[in-house]
Amino acid sequence: MSTNRENFQEFFSSTSGKLGSILLVIFILISVFVVFTYPLNFGNTIWSNPSYWSDYPKSAPPTWVSIFGTENVEHQIIDFTSPVDVIPISNQEQRLYSYTLNYDSNISPTFLSLSMYDVVYHDRPPTISVSILRPDNEEILIYRDVISSPRQGEEGPYVRYSDSPFRINLSGDKSVSSNLIEFVQDKSNSQISVNDIVGSNEKYIFSSFSSTNPQEVLHGEYQILIKFVVNNENDSISKIRFVLGGSSYGLLGTDSLGRNLSVGLLFGFPIALLIGLTTSTITTMIGTSMGIISGYTGGRTDTIIQRFADTLSNIPLLPILLFLIFIFGPQLWLVMTILVLFGWPGLTIIIRSMVLQINSSQSIEAAKSLGASKWRIMYRHIFPQLAPFIFAQLVFFTPAAILAEASLSFLGLGDPSIPTWGQILENGFRTGGVYIGYWWWILPPGLLIVITAMIFVFIALALEPVVNPKLKKM
Amino acid sequence: MSLLQTLIVRGLSLIVVLITVLFLSVIVLGATGYSDRLLTATVSEELRGLRQSLSQNIRDPTELEQVIEDRREQLIEFYGLDRPWYYRLPDMVFRILTLDLGEARTLRSFTGSNRVSDIVLERLPNTVLLITSATIITSIIGLYVGVKIATQVGSRLERSVSYFSAISYALPAWWLGIIFIILFAFQLRILPSSGMYSVPPPTEPFALFLDKLVHAILPVFTLVIVSVGSWSYAVRTMVLNISQEDFVNVARAKGLPENLVMRRHIIRVAAPPIVTSLILGLTGSLGGAILTETVFGWPGMGRLYYEAILAADESVIVALTFMFTLLYVIARFILEILYVVLDPRVRYK
Repeated sequence: MSTNRENFQEFFSSTSGKLGSILLVIFILISVFVVFTYPLNFGNTIWSNPSYWSDYPKSAPPTWVSIFGTENVEHQIIDFTSPVDVIPISNQEQRLYSYTLNYDSNISPTFLSLSMYDVVYHDRPPTISVSILRPDNEEILIYRDVISSPRQGEEGPYVRYSDSPFRINLSGDKSVSSNLIEFVQDKSNSQISVNDIVGSNEKYIFSSFSSTNPQEVLHGEYQILIKFVVNNENDSISKIRFVLGGSSYGLLGTDSLGRNLSVGLLFGFPIALLIGLTTSTITTMIGTSMGIISGYTGGRTDTIIQRFADTLSNIPLLPILLFLIFIFGPQLWLVMTILVLFGWPGLTIIIRSMVLQINSSQSIEAAKSLGASKWRIMYRHIFPQLAPFIFAQLVFFTPAAILAEASLSFLGLGDPSIPTWGQILENGFRTGGVYIGYWWWILPPGLLIVITAMIFVFIALALEPVVNPKLKKM
Repeated sequence: MSLLQTLIVRGLSLIVVLITVLFLSVIVLGATGYSDRLLTATVSEELRGLRQSLSQNIRDPTELEQVIEDRREQLIEFYGLDRPWYYRLPDMVFRILTLDLGEARTLRSFTGSNRVSDIVLERLPNTVLLITSATIITSIIGLYVGVKIATQVGSRLERSVSYFSAISYALPAWWLGIIFIILFAFQLRILPSSGMYSVPPPTEPFALFLDKLVHAILPVFTLVIVSVGSWSYAVRTMVLNISQEDFVNVARAKGLPENLVMRRHIIRVAAPPIVTSLILGLTGSLGGAILTETVFGWPGMGRLYYEAILAADESVIVALTFMFTLLYVIARFILEILYVVLDPRVRYK
């Protein structure tokens, strides 16, 4: 019998043991980070909530693709919370917000949008106007609006846009085009109409109007000026957001709903570990106790458990899993329960055959003749001999559970309230990401699933010589 | 006689599996109210047909309604919809067994039929074709590689096969399929990305066959890659265990040539446990086939599963669950026969 320390040395001396443990520690650290920083109902309130992602670019590749020479526009979200200047005009008050940005990309933003959050007013509704001061000193008014007036019978103070913000897509708005048209006609010296520019307003706002290349962007300092005019000094707005849509986003890009993939993928870490470890722990516990009871007790108990295990372990898992989840609805705990239900019999059959060998050993006979109870023998004398093997089985079963959940999600039966890697991949596959070439949507989730499964396979490999000394190098 | 007995016992235990799955699905369907919905849909479908044919002959609307109402009551009693679901258990089991599950909601067969049995049976050969060809290729490569590396333990080849086997355990078939599509169909453009035939399919029979073959390469290749590693490794371990036995040493000591020792004394003895590991891998390859078909748009039962889930077509899903279990039981039984043939101890007990 080797000591624990020798076992540890044996385990860590192998490359796969070292690699597996290091990766596992990294994965656990990421999971801990996610558990402490993400809200518990992340799936419902953030991930599956399209309005949360409306300010992000859709299907944008990661930012770092620009290394390979693709022309890029940075995605910019500009939040205005406090005015730079307050100017009293007769009995009104004009609050001025401004932001200066240096635009040097060769392509115009992919879209422009404006959002208003939490407007409160007391007398007459405030007005908002947005204009842009271009590097050539042309100031264009692009948007102007009055906050909706009080409804009949409504008492002040009047609250607007508190539940969900007011959002307008400036690129596709016809009123913006009407505001722009005179400026565009003037600059380009043509009789272009409003209908021609609606949908691509942003291109004209940032255009240099060069006669040789109509797509050319005017580089330099742009100033975004927002005027919020109120009639009562107590009126307020909590936030104004101005977005210049980019052609790429973040570390891992976005999906077709504009969701930041790196945020979703991070959430997958604790979920994958939870699915794998919980399922395999419970499965091993049930499988082991059933196996020991069956092998040691013998008789009718043995027959019943073995017949039961034999039938269950013979049922093809994926079809029955699909059927049950389809009927009962996609819930994560249900998936895990079914995996346990059909997972324990295999282990029980192996454990039983091992117990039958141990039964005839002298140590068990000695314990029996000393009058040890049935449960004591099973717990104190049989279980410890099997413990290393059982632990290896636990590790080995973990990737199976992770892969089973991923497969199920991939077939469209993932729990919608808990986003997993499998579901993100399925979304990408169903959107046709493989054919369109959204590689940043398809490759990372799959790679993460493979790496996670690999961690446990590596650890199991390194455990093998510890558990089964016969396999030590010959 | 003893051989027949063994096979009967094995066959019976597999039938128990089939019946368990059947009852499990029927109980789940009944207790969740799905069975009521399925039967009600069948009844209204029959009544709709009846109304169409009768409206030619019966002009009086009240009389027509009366006839249809009578027929509805008859049908409800016939299907047992007037009683709780558990009275209908045997009937439901029989309906699933005969794939008499009425009409699919939105899915259609290639010929346009909406009967569940038509849709499912049409796809069955495609799935069988995919699974059998992948299994045969995997077995041949696995046997060859496994035996080869068992004779050179510690070599570079042996180590890389061991690592490959570990990696393939962690490799989902569907993700590998996607990678292959991106690589072979879109980057290299040498193989079709999905489907079973080109659009439009060639008319000449031999060209049609070739077309099918080309479309089958990627799905079969995917299935082989995910299972061949662990299979070679299993063969290697089995061969290695037996080659350490005394009788192998005796054979070598007698001066028998190495390939004869390998063929007669090692592989012959290792064959039954190798078949056992093939049996154990069967549920895995079935699941792999469902996912691979989905990725490659291969028009088999696995792809149909995906389509049925997206269309929420419950009767098709019930039929598919049963068909996959049946397929498993049949394949399993064939392997059991092979096992009995290979292992004389089972025959002459």
